[in-house]
Amino acid sequence: MLRPAGLWHFCRRPRAARVAAANLGCREVTSGVSPRGGTSSRALNIFDRGLKRKQKNWAAQQPEPRKFDYLKEEVGSRIADRVYDIPRDFPLALDLGCGRGYIAQYLNKETIGKFFQADIAENALKNSLETEIPTVSVLVDEEFLPFRENTFDLVVSSLSLHWVNDLPRALQQIHYVLKPDGVFIGAMFGGDTLYELRCSLQLAETEREGGFSPHISPFTAVNDLGHLLGRAGFNTLTVDTDEIQVNYPGMFELMEDLQGMGESNCSWNRKALLHRNTMLAAAAVYREMYRNEDGSVPATYQIYYMIGWKYHESQARPAKRGSATVSFGELGKINIPEGEKSQ
Amino acid sequence: MSANGAVWGRVRSRLRSFPERLAACGAEAAAYGRCVQASTAPGGRLSKDLCAREFEALRSCFAAA
Repeated sequence: MLRPAGLWHFCRRPRAARVAAANLGCREVTSGVSPRGGTSSRALNIFDRGLKRKQKNWAAQQPEPRKFDYLKEEVGSRIADRVYDIPRDFPLALDLGCGRGYIAQYLNKETIGKFFQADIAENALKNSLETEIPTVSVLVDEEFLPFRENTFDLVVSSLSLHWVNDLPRALQQIHYVLKPDGVFIGAMFGGDTLYELRCSLQLAETEREGGFSPHISPFTAVNDLGHLLGRAGFNTLTVDTDEIQVNYPGMFELMEDLQGMGESNCSWNRKALLHRNTMLAAAAVYREMYRNEDGSVPATYQIYYMIGWKYHESQARPAKRGSATVSFGELGKINIPEGEKSQ
Repeated sequence: MSANGAVWGRVRSRLRSFPERLAACGAEAAAYGRCVQASTAPGGRLSKDLCAREFEALRSCFAAA
């Protein structure tokens, strides 16, 4: 690759991942890679899934993977909270884009009978975290689920759907593999994630180079998420947002952590070079515009949590129009008798 | 990627020194940041090399650090 003097290569691609031939303890059902160009007419091809797989493999085989796990652990524990909130147990569950199994470590045997850990990166499945639930590790691309219809009682997905090319299709597939009265609990990054980094890079690149290219991947807006889930066939949707702010010493540490998490940019339209001057300028702008009192810089991660149910007759449905027996106008006339107020 | 990763290792080690060198040039970085931030105010327009002077100061401080 040509390297003109004065510029050098800030390469986001990881070291060549050495994939072991033997899969220890992993039952490999399928390994799907998204075809170039897509098969359906509405297929988008924004992300290079092959590269994302390499990045996640590299991230999982680092000497200290736990150093970068803090965000995924936190979101995994919040998803596990939501699973516990549902007063039901799930004999068969699927974790889509599980990474090293951040959700499974917080759940117990009574809630989940058997857990399928699915991820696109085999190294992550090999270095998975301890859990008491019996698990089966499967190498799966989130857009091509190899499971039959009506298989799972629960599907969870934590912070991996934002790298999926065809999100409507992925959600439809999740709906397909769920049993009736099954539930999907997912967490995705939202539009405000890393806005400080995005703005700093944009400003610095405009000032230094005269134009800018996207360095942060596009995220789904919360309205679109509701529509997508509805279109996929889910009922009784719940979408709520949460913001996690993490403080870093500076922009370079933030970028290093993002790479360590396996969240490096992999979109096809990414720029291959980030000039040293632009990086320096962006770090200066970031510090000046967003720093905290103690000198650290914040990075915002906006997480959308979504819960969707697959239809079953036992689920509550909205009442038919015209079937009301009381009117809202009578609300003001409700009198609670004195003796019964304590109930 | 080369087989032994020599170039990659060199590049990464150079990158690792960036945070300290940037910390040593706090004043210049702040000046540059303020200049860029001022252009984001309503009515300002950010064009190429608008803050070139501040950036040159930052770069020379950074190279010297």
